[in-house]
Amino acid sequence: MASFGVTTTSRPKRVDELIDSQLMAKLDQVDVMSRKIFSGKLQGERRSKKRGMSVEFADYRHYVHGDDLRFVDWNIYARLDKLFIKMFLEEEDLSLIIAIDTSSSMDWGNPSKFVFCQRLAMALGYIGLVNHNRVSLYAFSDAGLRPLPNLRGMRRTQEMGSWLLNQPTGGASNFDDAMRGIALTRQGKGVMIVLSDFLYKEGYEKGLRYLSGGGYDTFCMQVLAPEEIDPGKAGLAGDLRLTDIEDDDVAEVTVSSGLLRRYKENLDAYCGKLREFCVRRGMMHLTIDTATDLNVLLLDYLRKRGLLR
Amino acid sequence: MTWLSPLTGLMLAAAVIPPLILLYFLKLRRRTQPIACTLLWKKSVEDLQANAPFQKLRRNILLLLQLLALILLILSVMQPQVQAGQQTGGKTVIIIDNSASMSATDGPGGITRLEHAKQLAKQRVEAMYRGGLFTGSPGETMVIAFSDRAEIYSRFSGVRQQIVAAIDRIPPTHGETRIGEALQLSRAYTTNVVDIMGEARPTGEPAHIELFSDGNIADLADQVLRPGESLTFHEIGTSDADNVAFAAISAERPFDRPTSVAVFASLLNFNQHEVICDVQLSVNDTARGIREVTIQPARTDPTTGELIPGRNNVVFAPFEQPRGAVIELANLREDALMADNIAQLVVPPPRQLSVALVRSNYRILEAALDPEGMRLQRLDVLTLDQFEQLASDGLLDQYDVVVFDNQAPETLPPGRYLTFGATPPIEGLNEFGTGGSQLILSTRVEHPVLQNVTLDDLRISEMALLQPRDDVQILVEATGGPAAVAVSRGSLHLIHVTFDPLSSSWPFKRSFINFIYNALEHLGHIGEAVTSEELRPGEVLTARLPASAQSIELRTPDNITHRITAADPTQLSWGPIRLAGAHLLSWTVPGVTGSSRETRPFAVNLLSETEGNLAVADSIDIGQDSFEGSRAAAASHTPLWPWAIALCLALLMVEWWVYHRKVYF
Repeated sequence: MASFGVTTTSRPKRVDELIDSQLMAKLDQVDVMSRKIFSGKLQGERRSKKRGMSVEFADYRHYVHGDDLRFVDWNIYARLDKLFIKMFLEEEDLSLIIAIDTSSSMDWGNPSKFVFCQRLAMALGYIGLVNHNRVSLYAFSDAGLRPLPNLRGMRRTQEMGSWLLNQPTGGASNFDDAMRGIALTRQGKGVMIVLSDFLYKEGYEKGLRYLSGGGYDTFCMQVLAPEEIDPGKAGLAGDLRLTDIEDDDVAEVTVSSGLLRRYKENLDAYCGKLREFCVRRGMMHLTIDTATDLNVLLLDYLRKRGLLR
Repeated sequence: MTWLSPLTGLMLAAAVIPPLILLYFLKLRRRTQPIACTLLWKKSVEDLQANAPFQKLRRNILLLLQLLALILLILSVMQPQVQAGQQTGGKTVIIIDNSASMSATDGPGGITRLEHAKQLAKQRVEAMYRGGLFTGSPGETMVIAFSDRAEIYSRFSGVRQQIVAAIDRIPPTHGETRIGEALQLSRAYTTNVVDIMGEARPTGEPAHIELFSDGNIADLADQVLRPGESLTFHEIGTSDADNVAFAAISAERPFDRPTSVAVFASLLNFNQHEVICDVQLSVNDTARGIREVTIQPARTDPTTGELIPGRNNVVFAPFEQPRGAVIELANLREDALMADNIAQLVVPPPRQLSVALVRSNYRILEAALDPEGMRLQRLDVLTLDQFEQLASDGLLDQYDVVVFDNQAPETLPPGRYLTFGATPPIEGLNEFGTGGSQLILSTRVEHPVLQNVTLDDLRISEMALLQPRDDVQILVEATGGPAAVAVSRGSLHLIHVTFDPLSSSWPFKRSFINFIYNALEHLGHIGEAVTSEELRPGEVLTARLPASAQSIELRTPDNITHRITAADPTQLSWGPIRLAGAHLLSWTVPGVTGSSRETRPFAVNLLSETEGNLAVADSIDIGQDSFEGSRAAAASHTPLWPWAIALCLALLMVEWWVYHRKVYF
């Protein structure tokens, strides 16, 4: 009972503890998918609305003076004696931005919410790098916004891992300022993934509104520990003085089945409200239990929800 | 409520309750537990501000349960007693069911349900007006009895003897059970109606209703209790009461034997087992025969839960009875309700018809209407002018049927008519010309007028063409349209043949005579049952006596003779009828009957499936409220300490369960 919610597993020290080689091999086949098609800065591997240089055929059009003769379809010319230009789909890169909550409340739960977010961010970032996307990471707490911008290519994997391992936890989230900072410093458009428990006393609405502009395809991943999802099952009982580890706020409770039932109803309502808020603004909301297997989450669940393919 | 040892209980309370509360103050120590976020917990917890000592106790269910258990224990030590049937002030309406089913003899010691209900009601009144330490004012009580109509036996009174006497006066009736009027009466005396903006508002205090009934109330679904009204349902009777009842009785004089009578009856078995009954036929109190009838057991409809009684019929073959008679069928098997074991009929003597024929010169119809062959009482041959004169003088009532032979009067007053040829002047028969040679296409063979009438070889040389309205029934259809139609509008009944028989081959056919005979019999006996008026309890007896009738008396089945004073004996009425059975009306006519009395019997039968079903309702539903039946008699001192102990034990079990859930869940 004394260890209720307290993280017992140690934090990963090396990059290969964040993501093992077997998972990396599986993730090589996976790509980040945006529900929106954005134009990128560099030529990449992503289908664009623009016609361009990929090998995937799109359409024909009549030849006009000045067109590159390399794209004339000579077979049609031989048959019809007319010049047609073959057009191909343009492929562009994708911006993948991962924002991680490093407040004190994330360093809680068994398994720890923060460790879970480190591993999840590592895996998602790795997918982005493997597919030549532009990956940016942000850690946020009341200590400020710590960025790792514009990584590209697999050779930046080690750098990304080291950055994740060195992120400290502590203090409050300061979610509004963090999201405002990300929105102001963003470069280009792409997929935004926010990893947090979203349990903010000041509310999440203002912060998420910064992300609701047309620039991002935003995924709000609400990471909750099993002790938060079902505290009764995790062993919370008795007359307790609950202390908030972020701001030392106190709630005195006598744990009973009625109280636990009401807590669950409130949690469901809170998550439902967050989900509704996200859906109304074109964002995707996912609630993830830290006890979930990362393999299952990445290769099955996130594929079904449309983040990965 | 009285207490036998209150001091002991108070001392015990002082000794144990404060320490218990003190223990709870000491017990509330909380352990610190770090948690990620208190946001959701704060929303969930209601005792966050539980710093003040009494707020800590506010929602502590365990302490509450333990306190309640202790209080109950202390109360039981104080030995409380209560007077059952206690009433403290206010208005009470005692409503007693005296319908037919309450005459069932399944009460304690073989008394009727009504007698049992009256006993219980009197016990209730005695308990209310006995007085006691905490009873206060007993208030006022009203007594109403109801069957198919309600009657007040005592208005609101606080005098016990008056109320008990009123209950004793309630007689049994054989009416159906309808409570609506009783509730209205009770409200009429508890409501000072103030009509504000067309809305009646009660200004008096609503009454508490004490209903003594077996619960089989026909109009219960239509009732609703007004705000403030309350009801106690005292369930009377047993559910396994034995009953077999007559459901219907009728008599018929056969077509070919008008001086004979055949009797038909239907019996219902409300028991869950098969029964065998002996049904005895009596004519003028003389037994004529017995039939054994086996009736299947009643069954319960699986979808509605209603009891469907077993049913069987009994038929007594035609027997010679040329004169009028009182016919009685009696089920000789004894059961709980005797009132529905007898069914009676008053059969008048066979009647011959008086017919008028309105004709011109031809005598073919006059020959066909031979009074002897047609068994007519008389046949008067009239001209059209004579008919018009009789109609204007209002003297057409002397004829049962008027036959027109190709004659059309100016107007046709209400009556019964058989017309040939000329179209009678009534709405819905629109003549639009004359048709030539006609053949018969179809006949409505099921109509009584066309029994034994074959029209296949009938040839018509000339026929009026009619456009009948929708309410005109076409009996015979010819190639040019209807050849015979029937019209029935209120007291006007008409059968019209659209051609003159002399313009056809019909007079030479046997079907012509059969048609006329059928038409006269049909028209002459329309609306006339072979039996005299059939009456049910609750209805009003009406009779048309000679204008000079005097000393009119009615003897009811309970052998009580009621003198009837009537201003106009030709329009005599008496009622409502309360009991089933033979009612005998008698009178004298000075100068005609001398000192001897003329008599006329009336049969009143309880042919009610609702009242025959003696099953007792465990509860009754009025509007949204359901009231469980109470079989408790009124009033004696009832010790309550065993209940307090039992409740205390139950509370301790609940407390243990709550504690277990809180600690271990």
